[in-house]
Amino acid sequence: MLPVERLHLDHVLQTVSVLESVVLRSFGPEGGQMLFIRDTGQAMLSRSGTKILTALRLEHPLARMVVECVLKHSAATGDGSKTFILLLASLLRMIHTTACKVPNVSHMYNSREAAVASTARRLAKKLVAFAFEELDDIFAMGVAPYGCCLSQEDYILTAQSQTNNPCVQKLLATFFHSRLGGTHSDLFSHLTSEMLINWIVRGEHPSKSLHFIYDNLPALHTPVSGFSISCSRLIEGQVIHRDFAAPCPQSDQQPVKAVILTGFLHPEVLCAGEVLQLGCEDNGTENSSWKQSIMQYSTWAESSLECAIARLRSLGVSVILSAVKQSAAALALAAQAEICIVECISEDELFLFGHLSGVSPVTDCRMIKPDDIALLTFCRPILLGSQRYVHVAFQDLDKRLIIKPCSLIICGAGEGQTDQYVCAFRDAIRMQLSTWRPIGTAASKQTSQLSKSESLHAEDQICKSLSFQQSLMGPGCVVPAGGTFELLLHHALLQHGRSVSGKADVDRFAVSQILANALLSIPKNIYSHSSRRFLETQTRLMGFINKQKHNTNLEQNLEEGIGNQHCCREINTPSEVFMLDLGLESLSCKYQLLLAVLQCVSNLLQVDTLLHINTTSHT
Amino acid sequence: MSRLVQKSPSLCTDLPLNNSDVCNKLRLLKELLKSCYGPTGRLKQVHNNIGGHVVTTSTSSVLLPALSSSQPLVNLIRSCILNHVSRFSDCGLFAAILCLTLIEEAKLSGLRRNVSIKVNKHLLGMCSSYLQEEDCGCRVVLDFCSSMNLITLTRSVIYSKPACVLAEVEALHMSKLAVQAFLLTVPCNSPGTVRLGRIVTVGVEGHPVLNSAVLTGLLVEVHDHLSLRMIKSMQTNPLRVVLFSASLAGDLSDLGDGIIEAHTGVDTDSQILDQLLEFCKHVVEDEVKLFVCQKVLHPVLQQYLRNHGVIVIDRVGVALMEPLTLLTGAQPVATLHTTIPAKAYGTVRSLSVKEFGSKTMLHLQPAAESAVCTMVVCHRNETMLSELKAVCQQAEHVLRLTLKEPSALLGGGCTETHLAAFIRNKVRFFTSLILLVIYLFITVKNTVIPSQSLNEVSQTLTAVECSQSEYLLGVEGFCRSLESVAAALQHDGGNSLTDLTHAHHWTLPADVTTENMEESLTFCGCGLTRNSPNMKWTHLNTKYPQFSPAPALRDSTVQPHVLDSFTAKLNALQVAVETANLVLDVRYVIQDTN
Repeated sequence: MLPVERLHLDHVLQTVSVLESVVLRSFGPEGGQMLFIRDTGQAMLSRSGTKILTALRLEHPLARMVVECVLKHSAATGDGSKTFILLLASLLRMIHTTACKVPNVSHMYNSREAAVASTARRLAKKLVAFAFEELDDIFAMGVAPYGCCLSQEDYILTAQSQTNNPCVQKLLATFFHSRLGGTHSDLFSHLTSEMLINWIVRGEHPSKSLHFIYDNLPALHTPVSGFSISCSRLIEGQVIHRDFAAPCPQSDQQPVKAVILTGFLHPEVLCAGEVLQLGCEDNGTENSSWKQSIMQYSTWAESSLECAIARLRSLGVSVILSAVKQSAAALALAAQAEICIVECISEDELFLFGHLSGVSPVTDCRMIKPDDIALLTFCRPILLGSQRYVHVAFQDLDKRLIIKPCSLIICGAGEGQTDQYVCAFRDAIRMQLSTWRPIGTAASKQTSQLSKSESLHAEDQICKSLSFQQSLMGPGCVVPAGGTFELLLHHALLQHGRSVSGKADVDRFAVSQILANALLSIPKNIYSHSSRRFLETQTRLMGFINKQKHNTNLEQNLEEGIGNQHCCREINTPSEVFMLDLGLESLSCKYQLLLAVLQCVSNLLQVDTLLHINTTSHT
Repeated sequence: MSRLVQKSPSLCTDLPLNNSDVCNKLRLLKELLKSCYGPTGRLKQVHNNIGGHVVTTSTSSVLLPALSSSQPLVNLIRSCILNHVSRFSDCGLFAAILCLTLIEEAKLSGLRRNVSIKVNKHLLGMCSSYLQEEDCGCRVVLDFCSSMNLITLTRSVIYSKPACVLAEVEALHMSKLAVQAFLLTVPCNSPGTVRLGRIVTVGVEGHPVLNSAVLTGLLVEVHDHLSLRMIKSMQTNPLRVVLFSASLAGDLSDLGDGIIEAHTGVDTDSQILDQLLEFCKHVVEDEVKLFVCQKVLHPVLQQYLRNHGVIVIDRVGVALMEPLTLLTGAQPVATLHTTIPAKAYGTVRSLSVKEFGSKTMLHLQPAAESAVCTMVVCHRNETMLSELKAVCQQAEHVLRLTLKEPSALLGGGCTETHLAAFIRNKVRFFTSLILLVIYLFITVKNTVIPSQSLNEVSQTLTAVECSQSEYLLGVEGFCRSLESVAAALQHDGGNSLTDLTHAHHWTLPADVTTENMEESLTFCGCGLTRNSPNMKWTHLNTKYPQFSPAPALRDSTVQPHVLDSFTAKLNALQVAVETANLVLDVRYVIQDTN
């Protein structure tokens, strides 16, 4: 008989609470870093919930299931993994208390525990159904009016004056605050928004450019350890993470002409599988090699190499960016012809270079055409930390692409730190991408399919297809951070519950109560160091909501018939005040988070038994 | 088939800084590093458990890699400091001690971690901007017209490494040489972007330090002494040089991935050798007198070339290739079949044989002006020599850094005490301003208060997000940490003092009583201020009335005796505070035990 473990709600709650206690250490403004030592002895620092949870290497199947849900969620949004756990724990707790209160009316259950479990299961199902049916409306009514919408102009506006429209920067600052702590968040949000300004193509949907940055991130940043973080900066052009193969005299001639080469300069005389026979006299005339020296083959190869170099020289090429390692002879001849060679460049970097310069790679140097030559304003060595790299800048970019390519240099005291900054940067881009995803049931259904296929690229099409539909809240909606979202939704849910309480639907009321109360745990944990701050924020927000409602009532009276199709309002309301102190977070991320947590809860509660199977491990 | 092993769960430590074991380890590390700090620091012997080489050292770049620990936080600090050292070569111990003291002070103060982190960050910003100010009291602008300051700077680097065992004269000699070598690497008449040349360091064991020298050109070790005899006979100037970067040992050149089948009677070796000899014939015809090969040269070729009066140097290694191309102006050749173009040849003005101890070396003098020079470093035994070589390279790095930022900081602990006094004064000014505002607000309503200072006060407190008393506690911890680094320079039981006018650092020997204190104090740590009748002192880490530290009088006759690299120290300060903040921010440690 297999060892069977009956699962009770208590067990589930206990497991999730343990996870919660770990995550709480780095949650909110008072949270700190987690230091993770890999099995190789390498140190890694993180405040990211995903990293913390994977580092724990949990054994308990339930905990692993939770971690998997978190990973899936954060792979899609790049944010909210710590909130996921907190919300999950709080929801389970609420369900537990509610389920325990329900009187045991049925005799079908032979124990009280079974009754509790079944009630909990039913509640969880109701919660998911509730979320799918009514959450959209509640969001549109109760939360979205207090937020604002990012528009494409925000990215461009920031370019003109740094202080004019701080929305994007605020959004990033809040994200980095939760990822890197308060001390560096300003610096990083500034760098990131500047990077976005330079890369985002005018007149195109921002998510397209964001995708490009996300995909090319390895080639777009350089980590440098040993320096203070304040040395992090943006530099013009691209950094190729290789050094010149031979020290090369720099000419001031402009423009610098470069080619991308994926093959060898030195021709291969013998390909794999071919056989060269030396000195076989019996073949007579057919194979005349018997009298020839082997050196003739290398003579031929070298003269061919010389021709290739001469050809490059006649085209005026002075830089070769090679994907492979070239022979010593090729390097020496190129140096004599004053051509610099950069060897072993990774595919990603060559792709980016090709994209920015508009040329395609060449396999054989003898086939080179004038179209394959890239024009650069400069190509020079750059010393970053202990490494020397090649720094290039492109010519005539204004005409071809309407962007200013730039590279991010991330400095930190050690490798652990720079890695952390890079991860945070990548997730910030992903978070921005999901901010641009529209909210609504249609979108959420499609995205849930998406997360299965794990393709980020298809989101573009969704954005386009949905732009025709009238979605409830436009993409790019942001709300004030610091627990404001949870407090707003809490309030909206309570109101919603009150409005339906007249009907016979008791469950719906209970469900919205559970969700509303569970949400409160987030702001409580944010202000865990002083409950005074929590109460202050809550009162301030409530006062604000009441005032706002008064205004909207007046407005609605005036323009009846339009209905309550709220589009997000521009920031000219007093909500601006809130945003400026608290920062911003993406509404779309929050929406997805809520759905993901509710699904996770119902998944967890569906399980009733654990079966431990013994498999003989292969040794 | 792959082996499936179940992963064991990770080992977790909650709030590591509250753990007494972790704190003890950090304290031990701090005491260990403190005892190495400065010119009178104690040396450490490092040896491994399998009877390896024993290293005697006090430099952070050698010591820190040896101090690996099972405690992740210790390793984190270590790697941060080592990264700094690898970039700046100086101030590693300063950064490490400051970082560890800051952590300890933050724990002692009992502040919330986030508050200490924010206060530290704020004060770091205050320090860095003060150090970069024009009228900063502890910065000296370097004058490149005289080598005086450069020598002082180098001497401070060399003298602070007691493991080199140098007398004062020797230290001065070495610093002069280091400056001389550095100046030789700066090209004089090249327009456009200046590229610094190279210093090649050659170590000679068993000779007195004063025999060390700097030579223009390169010293190349010669493995056979046959060619050295030829040198005396050839004095024609200048000599033609060829540099070869591929192997000439007679191995088969790379033809691709295919298979070569050689039938009996085919001697590929002799075919290749014939080709090589043909090539050498060309070289001889082109009147080359010096043949340098990075890799191995076939003995037959060596013999052939020598018979034709060509000096052969092979196996020079890849490290020497760059200085050789710089010196001779030759371009490395790697092809056998093509004719060598005339411009690929280089020249040297003359060749001579130099003997240093057991080493016989060929001295290549450049034909034109070149920025390559050789530094011959002599010392009595191997350990001291390796330490001295490392120190010379550090000194070179420090000197190069001055080109980017031509200033230096006062050494001998004076910068630290000065900064501490500066911060205390500025913060006290803030808080008294707040009191003043409140007072004015109560008494006279319509007063104009300097709005700029008011702004500064409010900005500070909102940026730090803490109460005034918390702020003051954090500031006190930061200042005490700075002062304790200055005090760590003292190892012989002496007392550390600071004066109440310039806030420099003074040392009082242990055997001097407080009564005749004033006679025994002549100069401060950096040597810029001297004892004057109305000067007052106080012990470090005691409370003293805050004052604005006056910059020392800039008297051209008094020059500081001890200077530290500005760039290195500023970065060390930043790295120390950032690392301390990082360690304070760690709330949870997860160790993967697989």
